[in-house]
Amino acid sequence: MWRKSKPYLLLLPATAAIILLFFGGIFDGLLKSFGYFPAIGQTELNLAAYDRLLSSEAFWESLTLTLRVAALSSLLSAIIGALVAIALFFLNDAMKTTSPKAWHRLFQLPLTIPHLVAGYIIVLLFMQSGFVSRILAAIGWIDDIADFPVLVNDPFGWGIIFTYAWKEAPFVALMLYPVLSRIHGSWREVSRVFGAGNWQFIREVVMPVMMPAWTVATFIVFVFTFSAFEVPYLLGVTYPSVLPVYSYQLYTSGTLADRPEALAVNMILAAITILLGLVAYYFSKRWNVLKGWG
Amino acid sequence: MNDLRIIDMEKRYKSAQPREENSFMLRPVRLAIREGEFFSLLGPSGCGKTTLLKLVAGLLEADGGEVWVGDENLTNVPPESRRFAMVFQQSLLFPHKTIEDNVAFGLKMQKVGKQQRLKAAHGMLEHVGLSGFGSRFPDDLSGGQQQRVALARALVANPRVLLMDEPFSALDPGLRVEMRELLSRIQKEFRVTVLFVTHDRDEAFALSDRIGVMGEGKLQQVGSARELYERPETTTVASFLGLRNILGGVIENGHFASTDQLIQAAVNRPLANGDYFMIIRPEALKTVESDQLGQVRIKGIVQELKYGRGMYSLKVKAGHQLMECMLTISQAEKIAVGEPIDLFVDMKEVWFLKK
Ligand SMILES: Nc1ncnc2c1ncn2[C@@H]1O[C@H](COP(=O)(O)OP(=O)(O)OP(=O)(O)O)[C@@H](O)[C@H]1O
Ligand SMILES: [Mg+2]
Repeated sequence: MWRKSKPYLLLLPATAAIILLFFGGIFDGLLKSFGYFPAIGQTELNLAAYDRLLSSEAFWESLTLTLRVAALSSLLSAIIGALVAIALFFLNDAMKTTSPKAWHRLFQLPLTIPHLVAGYIIVLLFMQSGFVSRILAAIGWIDDIADFPVLVNDPFGWGIIFTYAWKEAPFVALMLYPVLSRIHGSWREVSRVFGAGNWQFIREVVMPVMMPAWTVATFIVFVFTFSAFEVPYLLGVTYPSVLPVYSYQLYTSGTLADRPEALAVNMILAAITILLGLVAYYFSKRWNVLKGWG
Repeated sequence: MNDLRIIDMEKRYKSAQPREENSFMLRPVRLAIREGEFFSLLGPSGCGKTTLLKLVAGLLEADGGEVWVGDENLTNVPPESRRFAMVFQQSLLFPHKTIEDNVAFGLKMQKVGKQQRLKAAHGMLEHVGLSGFGSRFPDDLSGGQQQRVALARALVANPRVLLMDEPFSALDPGLRVEMRELLSRIQKEFRVTVLFVTHDRDEAFALSDRIGVMGEGKLQQVGSARELYERPETTTVASFLGLRNILGGVIENGHFASTDQLIQAAVNRPLANGDYFMIIRPEALKTVESDQLGQVRIKGIVQELKYGRGMYSLKVKAGHQLMECMLTISQAEKIAVGEPIDLFVDMKEVWFLKK
């Protein structure tokens, strides 16, 4: 009995701390979003914060922006990541030597860079007075650096999308690559003998095999970009801002009355994330996409 | 006529370490296979059978030589446009596709409509005895069933040549025999040209119209099973076919004398003087003297007596030579290990090979 439960008991302090901080944090936020604030004598629970939030235009604009940015960034990184993974797969197939390792390293590079730094790099590169715009102006593609499109701190969120696409594409690629490398080298030969060219092989074999991992990776990127703070804070505009930034703005606005609203935003974020998770789980069950990969 | 012709195809694998001399090389192979013929490549492991098959399929780039089907030169045609089909040692079905989609794969690549290709797939599945399995997935099938599906997948697109690389070697012996019969029947029915690779003598003998024996990266001899077995051209071919009673010796004026003086006998064929190997098939060695003329006696000691499939196989030590022969059960009853024995060779049945 003792020997069986010993490892679990040893894990208890760490687990307890995580559970307390994580669920405690959420629970505390939940209470406060319902207006519970004993420090100023508020002990009654109500839905006033949610009410105000849902009827404010700023919230809906923020939600739209957040969804748009998250959807576009995850789509873009999913596509780029898949292309990179497939390219690496064929490269490995063709060379069968040690040199593809160097390519792997190159594509892993963005993974090692923190999001904040990645954000700064994009700022430095794509600002109107940034690197790219200056080069284009210097070689005469644009007359003035002011002609360079506003890609950073723009209302649409291109800067955020670019950063995420660059940063998460390798993540998607690295999620896909192990799956691809399970593709039997001989399947290529089989499909060639039966008349499949490269493109048909990709469509008939590579894509379907890759699909489950791809969906999962894209979903992870979506959830992450949906709820991440630092990149949109750095690269976004003040209005409209994405939900996490909006929540921060409310929280630090100076009026204590805004705080329940700020926490309500967080609760809505958490609820949407959980909902997305359930949807993804349901589909992965239903598709039976892992058939034959036991 | 859509014969498959392989003209001087050769291949050398570049070894990983440069300057390493023992990299494998397939010596030029010249071979013509008639339309509708069942041709087997038979040879020990590592002799280059798969290499030759992949060269024919176009999956490997040849260092030289050409492949023709009829009057069409396919040497520079990519494998996907050759209209060949292939069955490998593993079934290599696509696990994410149903059985019927797997079978219909080749037709899909040829842009055949869905209705039509599924109909063809169902028809072919019926031929291999798997009707009703169409909507399952490969993982739900046994190894033998998977290999039948692979066969159906190969045949459904009506290929010009069917290449098979040891397709049954991963199956258990009973299933192997069953699959042989199935393949034989289907091949005759569809009259498809088959190039079949195997290291199993019985399999090659049971299936083939003609057999090419390979050894050491070279096509050694081509012929029918009987020609190869009764008249092998080299000792490599002979020993690979299980003819291990090989005696070196000299023929002088129509008289053979083995080097170890074990046998001295008149040769009943006009053969020039010179060094020869005498090859005695195990079936040509008898333990009882018959009243036929031209029998030669070999004295030896019984070394081993083993039972196998209704016959005994006997090993007799004669001089330095180990002779193998087959005995019926009643013949074997009188024999004990360690005792002297007389073996009789019918000189009409032996085969001489010039050294
Ligand atoms: N890609 C390769 N690079 C270098 N050498 C190879 C390569 N593929 C095969 N060989 C070598 O070529 C030789 C012949 O191989 P091959 O696969 O053609 O033999 P095989 O007759 O099919 O044998 P088996 O009956 O075991 O399948 C072997 O010695 C093998 O080591
Ligand atoms: Mg082989």
